[in-house]
Amino acid sequence: MTTASGPGPAHPAREVFLIANSVDELGGVTTWTHRMARLFTDRGHRVHVVGIRAAAEEHRQHLGGELPYPTTTLYESGPPRQGRAATMPAQAAKLTALFRAARPGAVVIVTQVWAMEWVVIADTAGHTVIGMSHESFAASRASSRLRRCRTYYAEVDRMLALTREDADLWISLGGMNNVGHLPNPLPVLPAEPSPRTGRIVTSIGRLDDQKGIDMLLEAWAEVAPLHPDWQLHIYGDGDRDEEAALRRQCWALGLDGSVRWQGRTDDPVAALRTSSVFVQSSRYEGFPLALMEAMATGVAPVAFDCAPGVREIVRDGQDGLLAPLGNIALLARQLDVLMSDRALRDRLGQAARANIQRYSADGIVRRWEALFTFLER
Amino acid sequence: MDVTADVSVVVIVHDDEERLPAAVWSALGQTLRSVEVLIVDDCSTDGSYRIAREFAAAHPGRVRAFRLPENSGGCGAPRNLGVDHARGAYVMFLDSDDVLERNACRNMLEAAESTGADLVSGLCVRVHVDSRSGKQVKWHPWLYDRTRTLESIAELPGLLVFDTLATNKCYRRDFLDRADLRFPVGIHYEDLLFSARAYVAARRITLIPNRVYDWHVVDGAGARSISNRRHEIANFAHRLEIHRRVDALLAEHGLTDLEFHKDVKFLKHDLVLHLRDLPATDEAYRRAFAELARPYIAGFAPEVYREVRPVQAVCAYLLLVDDWDRLIPAADTLTNPDKLSSPLAERDDRVYWCAEHLDDPLGRDVLDVTALGYHTTPLGQLFLRNELTEYSDLGAGGRGPVRLAGRIVNPLGRIRADRPLRGRLEFSARRRSPQTFRFPLVSLRHAGETLEWTAEVDLARRLRPLGVLDAVWDVRLVLEVGGDAGGAGERLRTRLSAQAQDLVGAGELRVRPRLTRLAADRLEPRISRRGHLSFRLVSRGPAARRSEQVIRRAIATGPADTAKRKVRSVRRRLRSGDTKIRAYRRLLVRLPVRRGLVVFESHLGRQYSDSPRAIYEEMRRQGVRFRAVWSYAGDPAGFPKDAVLVRRWSWPYLRYLAQAEFWIDNQGFPLRLDKRPETTYIQTWHGSALKRMGFDEPGHKAMWRPDREAYQRALDRFDAFLVRSEHDVRTLVRAYRLRPDVPLRTGCPRNDALVAARAAEAGTGPRARGPLAAELGIPEGRTVLLYAPTFRATEGGQVRTFEIPFDVEQFALRFGDRFVLLIRAHYLNQVVLPPSVRGTVLDVTGRHDITPLLTLADGLITDYSSVMFDYALLDRPMIFYAYDHEEYAVHARGTYFDLREEAPGPVTGTQEELFAAVARLEADDAEYAASRADFVARYGEYDQGDAARRVVSTFFARGRRG
Repeated sequence: MTTASGPGPAHPAREVFLIANSVDELGGVTTWTHRMARLFTDRGHRVHVVGIRAAAEEHRQHLGGELPYPTTTLYESGPPRQGRAATMPAQAAKLTALFRAARPGAVVIVTQVWAMEWVVIADTAGHTVIGMSHESFAASRASSRLRRCRTYYAEVDRMLALTREDADLWISLGGMNNVGHLPNPLPVLPAEPSPRTGRIVTSIGRLDDQKGIDMLLEAWAEVAPLHPDWQLHIYGDGDRDEEAALRRQCWALGLDGSVRWQGRTDDPVAALRTSSVFVQSSRYEGFPLALMEAMATGVAPVAFDCAPGVREIVRDGQDGLLAPLGNIALLARQLDVLMSDRALRDRLGQAARANIQRYSADGIVRRWEALFTFLER
Repeated sequence: MDVTADVSVVVIVHDDEERLPAAVWSALGQTLRSVEVLIVDDCSTDGSYRIAREFAAAHPGRVRAFRLPENSGGCGAPRNLGVDHARGAYVMFLDSDDVLERNACRNMLEAAESTGADLVSGLCVRVHVDSRSGKQVKWHPWLYDRTRTLESIAELPGLLVFDTLATNKCYRRDFLDRADLRFPVGIHYEDLLFSARAYVAARRITLIPNRVYDWHVVDGAGARSISNRRHEIANFAHRLEIHRRVDALLAEHGLTDLEFHKDVKFLKHDLVLHLRDLPATDEAYRRAFAELARPYIAGFAPEVYREVRPVQAVCAYLLLVDDWDRLIPAADTLTNPDKLSSPLAERDDRVYWCAEHLDDPLGRDVLDVTALGYHTTPLGQLFLRNELTEYSDLGAGGRGPVRLAGRIVNPLGRIRADRPLRGRLEFSARRRSPQTFRFPLVSLRHAGETLEWTAEVDLARRLRPLGVLDAVWDVRLVLEVGGDAGGAGERLRTRLSAQAQDLVGAGELRVRPRLTRLAADRLEPRISRRGHLSFRLVSRGPAARRSEQVIRRAIATGPADTAKRKVRSVRRRLRSGDTKIRAYRRLLVRLPVRRGLVVFESHLGRQYSDSPRAIYEEMRRQGVRFRAVWSYAGDPAGFPKDAVLVRRWSWPYLRYLAQAEFWIDNQGFPLRLDKRPETTYIQTWHGSALKRMGFDEPGHKAMWRPDREAYQRALDRFDAFLVRSEHDVRTLVRAYRLRPDVPLRTGCPRNDALVAARAAEAGTGPRARGPLAAELGIPEGRTVLLYAPTFRATEGGQVRTFEIPFDVEQFALRFGDRFVLLIRAHYLNQVVLPPSVRGTVLDVTGRHDITPLLTLADGLITDYSSVMFDYALLDRPMIFYAYDHEEYAVHARGTYFDLREEAPGPVTGTQEELFAAVARLEADDAEYAASRADFVARYGEYDQGDAARRVVSTFFARGRRG
């Protein structure tokens, strides 16, 4: 048997299936899936990424070049809205064929509970099945996913939440005693941190309700008059109406002079290098990648404490500043504190870059391998 | 150390062959595969050991069977044997009648390995196996609400004190060996000592929220006999011995804080369990119990008594001083916590449980029950102990009347001898039944600290049960205490506390059921679980017994049972909010709108008050023709008699709302009830804003879009929103995102009275004090101050318990000769004042309407309450007591302006500053006159005294009405 390379305890090389809603739809889960697929591949595991349906043209994510692992998509055009159940056994049979071809001891990682609906009817005998929730417990509870996770993840070997706090909430719900947690790996560690000289506050995220840009603009309206030499750069795009509404709000608050709408970026690190403060005004989050990228770039964050993932990443006062969710006045106050104090920005920014490395890709992938081994005991 | 498995599960069994397999399978079926099972048989006389060996044979290498040479009578010896033979890295214990959760071993092992803990503990659930509803109760869930790791048990004393089980835990085996941890043998409650020793010895403890262990509970049958009471005494002796050993262990390790917590728990739980039973025990038992318990609790520090509920402390103390005459009644309050079972005594402005033992410092401390407010609670809300002193059959063979006698405690003589007094006995069926049978008392008189009464009830003739449905009858004695000149009368309800010996010789009474005499024909006196006299219908005649069997069988069989359950669930569904809203949306709003129908509500139906009341009264005054409906939430008392009164959320309430031409309220009709376009909603609102409201509140801002939209839809129901100033428009109207045509600049109707009072004062000079001053008993010549703070919320948004944030006794001492202080807390809060401030500090929280209090008060103390905007209209002195400004204004919610800059009076932050400001109230008044005028101009410009009139003429003018 071959073993995964690198220092640390040797882990056997395995076959790893990553089953997602789609191989290439836009979004954090897809980014995460291919990041993990590469990391597992680099460690000597044989990876296969499976998507249930093809992503719609306008929601497709550019994956960049040749992938070092195979991918499979079950439905070429997505499952039908009517009579979906009738089509599922045939698609699940494709999964069964893949699983049966694998040596016993393979790991099936289901990234979203929707995809699990096919995996439960496939034959996973001899393999370890792991189901994931890529959002906070509160976000699941506010949607149908709470019920669906309880239904479809009830029998998996492990359901993984993003943080211990989220896992505890799932467990305390009752009936789910198979829940553990694993954080996301750091997406990037730029060689050079931001010089933190630009008088720019940066926000990165889709322009939709979840990201709370409406609240950010209100907070900015309180801070901007105190710091006329600063600008707020908002990266991301969104639905046309949404964007128009936000721009109207910006105008009505008299902020057109200090707010720049930068559109979507494929290079968040470059955007972060121009700025000295990062702000995240989301209503809900899981284990936010943009926040990790900002910290890895040495930019101190100010964020609403909207999820366990946020308070686990940011140690309030040490490597960033938090405000209670929805409290505009305090978000503004925290921005003001950082914008007024160069030394504090440097101190928190440096600490952020150092601290965020506890989620280094290498460390996280080893935790995954340890989990595979543990679940076989 | 020989390790061949991750976890060893030690299953112990004694004469339990039926349940043993389920326990063993729960260990073998774990998701963690590396589990070995050791079955240790405590020398059973049934087939337990045979089954154990069969398991071992079927699962070689995974199951081993052991047997003790003779029965040990406990759990200690077999568990110890199991530990000695275990080969796992970790050890868990399982009893043959319980089961492990499927993932228990995996979760325990993961926690142990990731934290390096010696001991991991998880949630245990008590499963009531013979409960039909599948009752399950978590064992001290507050300890297991999240994963946490303790470096020492001292970080979480509650763990040692409350979770004394050995079974919901996973122990590192080399830890058990290193610490020489084994169970004591030959004594009960071995878990208590073992778990305590394990907690103390463990170098690290991890708690996980996972359910790991199901404790199967078989609910005991029937009452305990005297003989098993003897057995209880023996058990109690064991329990105390174990407690002494744990105490010694804690003392040895210097864990005095844990000892303290343990003593508190002993008073709160262990002792209370036994004390509750005392009224039903005999002399010998009481003596034996006291001899064991007294020396043990004699060692407790006085501080221990302060940590338990007052009645628990009182009972422990009375036991300690051997005062059985007071202990037995006090135990009644342990069982019935609402009940006042002692006549109390007032000494030096404090209220004590009894007049005795007050020369003992501990007694004085423990027996002081001033804070419970028995001296101020309205009589009608007191639940007084009524002790049965006689029960005798007057006729032979259960055909004659029964004589009952008893005495009711009269606390502090509050039921005054000069008030008219009447009483009656009421018999009513426990299950819903319209029938109540009333019997007058023969006598009722004051006798020292009690009221004594007698009655003769001819149950055989007068009580006519239906026969099948009303099997249990409860007895109440209802006292009517007549009012004096000023106040209304009050009604008190009592239950009859009886002891078993009272009913010795009491026979069954013949009765004639209405439905059929064939069902049940005798009424048997008995004592309920709460210690009260009740009667049960039983069948004695041969015909009755036969037919009862038939009826019972009919009720018990499937179809009837299912039908009953169905009826119940249908009823529940009909009452549920969702059903009502559906019916409202689909049916009720299709009914025609009725012209002139106006639905009023104030503060969600809790009060008849505020602007809706002012508008209502103005409409009556003008003789507007309309049909008035007032909504009430709790009690309809105090609402107008000339209106239709409907309970909030009842079916009639929904129907009236659906058909109303006008809705008038000051806070919000249920958000999910849509308003139809034909209805006009006049939102009077209930105060200008200092703190941020609506979409300016963090909670609303953070809501997701669908929730925000639903909220906005509810707000968009308002057709008119009354404002008092442009400040309201900038804050409230903006925060609720109302359409520009919605704000109506009339001023606030409830404040018309304040404007009028100010005008009257300006015209005639002296301030006229209305009848309210007399009603409250405020002497002439005293300045009246009103303290009206706003409520404070917990982080979860609940209303926080109110404690007066300054020392009222100090206030009374310093200012009693000049001031009377009225305290009005939020209507959800309660205020208890010590007797020492009587006449100087008055609680006016219960008053529906605040406006008369504002008019009466010569000065106001407030904090961030909107009452400041209203009171300013009177142009009288105001003091702001903002002791928690930073927390309240900045962190919790945020404010629209800085109170410290704009307040039209001194802003104080400490009690000393507050008292200094009170002392200078009149002297400083002139200084603030200008800022008050400013304040009124800024925040109350439209309050000109004619708001109600303007509202009525806008919407109900004669010309507009058809």
